[in-house]
Amino acid sequence: MKKKIISVAAVCAATAAVIVALAPDHAPAQAKKPVPLALDGPAAQTPWKRYAGWPTRDMSKFNTLANLASPPAPKEPRKVSGPITGDAANGQKLVADRNRGGSCLACHVMGPAGNADLPGNVGPDLSEIGKAGREDEWLFNYVNDARVYNPETTMPPWGSHGLFNDQEINDIVAFLKTLNSPATFRSTVDDPLKRPAPVENRDNLDDLLNPGMWTIERAQTLWKTNGPKNASCATCHADVKVFKTWGASMPRWEPRLNKVLGVEEFVFRHAKATTGAEWLMQSDENTAFAVYLRYLANGQPIKVDITSAGAKQAYERGKALTQRKLGQLNFSCLDCHDPSKGALKWIRGQWLGEQKGQYDHFPTWRTSLNAVWDIRKRFQWCQVNIRADELPPDAKEYGDLELYLASVNAGLKLSVPGIRH
Amino acid sequence: MAEKPRLKVPKEAKKGEIIEIKTLLSHPMETGLRKDQAGNVIPRKILNKFTCEFNGKPVFSADLEPAVAANPYIQFNAKVDESGTFKFTWTDDDGTVTTTEEQIKVV
Repeated sequence: MKKKIISVAAVCAATAAVIVALAPDHAPAQAKKPVPLALDGPAAQTPWKRYAGWPTRDMSKFNTLANLASPPAPKEPRKVSGPITGDAANGQKLVADRNRGGSCLACHVMGPAGNADLPGNVGPDLSEIGKAGREDEWLFNYVNDARVYNPETTMPPWGSHGLFNDQEINDIVAFLKTLNSPATFRSTVDDPLKRPAPVENRDNLDDLLNPGMWTIERAQTLWKTNGPKNASCATCHADVKVFKTWGASMPRWEPRLNKVLGVEEFVFRHAKATTGAEWLMQSDENTAFAVYLRYLANGQPIKVDITSAGAKQAYERGKALTQRKLGQLNFSCLDCHDPSKGALKWIRGQWLGEQKGQYDHFPTWRTSLNAVWDIRKRFQWCQVNIRADELPPDAKEYGDLELYLASVNAGLKLSVPGIRH
Repeated sequence: MAEKPRLKVPKEAKKGEIIEIKTLLSHPMETGLRKDQAGNVIPRKILNKFTCEFNGKPVFSADLEPAVAANPYIQFNAKVDESGTFKFTWTDDDGTVTTTEEQIKVV
């Protein structure tokens, strides 16, 4: 008899504990009890497999945000004996070849350059380099590895990192030596100095214009759908008005995980701990929630905490990561996104934005892909495009980077989902 | 899971007024010209017809070709002389017809 009473009491206690855990939480997220999070395991597909359709290059011999692997810069320029003879016609093809890491034209106007269009202007105009009085050895080494002349250069080390072999560099130098008159452009937009910068003024919150808005309805349905633990978001969060600023306060430092959590990772870990649902990062459901939770904070200024000890260190790490040279092309975030380097210039036909203004519209609909991308997917794609290996979406380095980027964007008002090319 | 059509039709209008109607239906509009990674052609599957009727009378219709982009957005004007119901239909290559209605009050 006694045993039965104890077990009933145990059941009551357990039920009471469950009720307490799922009690409606009217307080904002800064309540005293820590938010339930699944603290074990990854939050993304594991092992991470690169998206089908993305370039399949293995760039493990070069730096990533998590790993230093690139060969060190040479200490001295290579000696070049005698004048360089190369095939200038081949050189003209190579400088326009997008398969070789974007080509020289991505950053340089180069006179006729294979009749290719939309040259960039991250680097100087080379249309008259042939009569600039440069030695062949200098031209060779600048293409091979410009770090021997300028340790801060944005120039990829085309030779040292194996993008061009010596003969190809000779061909490029031979072509450069033929450039001795200003470029003539076929149209105004071809001249990067006259090309108007793109302006995004579509109404991103119009659901007839931005399919990204449809994910909000999906999230609202999932909000009320019970997970394996027979609870839904609505069980505790019937009123979403409490999230008016939450989306604008993310990402944030999570001491229990010793990393920065963005909205997407938070959704996975919080849902798993409460309703039992496992919405992996970058799944359709997770992305729908990420859009919705940010959308609820639209109009709010981005305001992330970088004052706590953990957050401050993460911010410093993130800042340092923006300076790290990555991949075969040896680009850091700053090479493209800092105005002192490539930002507010053209890389081939694409405008490079600066860091401020690149976060307030994420997750965003991408019209070229008919898909919503979160910020971590954007990081991953950037890495793969500059010929660096990407990290899994829940990598702590991405968290550090996102916290830094969010703090650079502090004050800007959220407008999610965005709409972009 | 089929998405519902999205519409912007004014709820009210004056007699004889020309109103603007916006419509959108989510659909991949696969052209039949793309190839997948293995090199196989992805078969064509598009919405090939859109019609709009008002109180049973035709107002606007369009035959859609593979050049129309995904999630076709169709916007047109209509002159309303009486209250009634707009009926919109979209026809898929496979014969599926999606239909929806919208009321308007004419004062």
